[in-house]
Amino acid sequence: MLRNIVTQNSKVCFQKQAFDRSIKNVYSLRYQSFKKSPEEQVKESKLDSEPIEGNLNKYRKIKKNDKSQPEDLKLRENDLKKAFKPTSFQTSVASFLIKYLGVNVDRVRSGPIAGSYYYKECSDQGLIYEDDVKLSKGCEFFYNDLKLPKTFSQWYQIHILHVWILFVRMRAMPFDIGKNYQKKIIDRTFEELERKLKEEMNVRSGRFIDNYLKEFNSQLRGCIFAYDEGFYTDDYTLAKALWRNLFGGRKNVDFVHLEACVRYVRSQLYVLSKMSDRDFALGNFKFVPADQFVRPLSPEEYEEMKKEVIAKYEKIDNDPNTKPTEKSKLRYDN
Amino acid sequence: MSNQNTRALATRIVNFIKELPEDRIQHYADFKNIQLQRFAKVANPSMKTEDTKKNDGLSLSDIKDMLTRTKSPLGLQKSVLKKFAQAVPQENWNETLLTQQLSALDSLKNNTYKKMYDVTDKLYKPEGNPQYYQRLYDEITGKSKENFFTAMRTVFTGK
Repeated sequence: MLRNIVTQNSKVCFQKQAFDRSIKNVYSLRYQSFKKSPEEQVKESKLDSEPIEGNLNKYRKIKKNDKSQPEDLKLRENDLKKAFKPTSFQTSVASFLIKYLGVNVDRVRSGPIAGSYYYKECSDQGLIYEDDVKLSKGCEFFYNDLKLPKTFSQWYQIHILHVWILFVRMRAMPFDIGKNYQKKIIDRTFEELERKLKEEMNVRSGRFIDNYLKEFNSQLRGCIFAYDEGFYTDDYTLAKALWRNLFGGRKNVDFVHLEACVRYVRSQLYVLSKMSDRDFALGNFKFVPADQFVRPLSPEEYEEMKKEVIAKYEKIDNDPNTKPTEKSKLRYDN
Repeated sequence: MSNQNTRALATRIVNFIKELPEDRIQHYADFKNIQLQRFAKVANPSMKTEDTKKNDGLSLSDIKDMLTRTKSPLGLQKSVLKKFAQAVPQENWNETLLTQQLSALDSLKNNTYKKMYDVTDKLYKPEGNPQYYQRLYDEITGKSKENFFTAMRTVFTGK
């Protein structure tokens, strides 16, 4: 589905918006950069806007195959499906529970999808592994291009930005299911934070860990509130929220970076808004890397995509051989 | 660095920032004020900035801060954070850089991306909780305040 929307270096042009005569040359510059991905946009600016405090490279890199790492975070995506394949006995027990005892599959599914898959998806955006020579796409954008310090709390900020992006979509699901998804991803976040502080940051005192967790919790609440305000009102407010949280209120911030960030966030939300509930709940979403351009769909293309999705899930629902574990009551037509 | 054109551009940025709306609620850092100071210095290099008082003595709050150490993210002491906040960035401006800054600000003010990536009412009035953003916005702007009963309703039902 993402392939429909994302096109690299797309040649689609945008209609020029009405522009103010006094800053004509400014607008012509802007017009060109419409076709660029956020990463290219950032690279355009040559302003030296490193944090004043210098690069804080204190972040202790973790090994991907560290013993203390949970199983599902260690594996790559393809291996994950093999590693957690249920046996036929497990499947039949689950099917019995769903069919005769009325267990809600969507609620059960929120655990593995939000608590494991989406958690990993969010946290990987800013996580630096020791044994990966090459940084991931998300890391490259946030640390090299936006020049953010490589610290633990910076990782947390990047993580909750992505968690919030998913939150916005989860609110649009049926109330109880969406709430469950939100709960699961936050539960997992704090579970992992506690483990990380203990094992990776070597904080030994339990009282200190508790204090840190409280601090992280208040940061989370503040972020979600500020981003929500920015999302609903305008780009400038969203940029301010990003500046306060992601950039730590840095004085010498590059406005081009802020603009690219706003664009990054809004483009992710756009992709999410074009997804159906069912698609999202089954874990078919992946964050669009910052070096790709998200092209807004025309109404015809959207209709076509909708039809494809509806046909796909109708086929699954009408097939008598579909296992109860693969069924879902969520909508697929929105 | 401070030739006529850069100064003129910086003045334009300053005027632009002055027109931007204020924060709806108070935060720990005010974007508008901080950026105004930053560009006012470029526009008018001879302008004097406020002298910050030098005080090496420890206050009670500093000592408390040292003892708890967790008031700010990951053990950064308040004094260190204060130092960061007071440090003055040294930047070399030229015309192209300033033009880029101005155009970026302009597109932020014009809601370019909100219009470009329009997420429609599907996300602005989410199905699970259609009044969520409207209530939040009304509360911030002071249009309608939450009362005890609506607050308790949220506690019990989540909506």
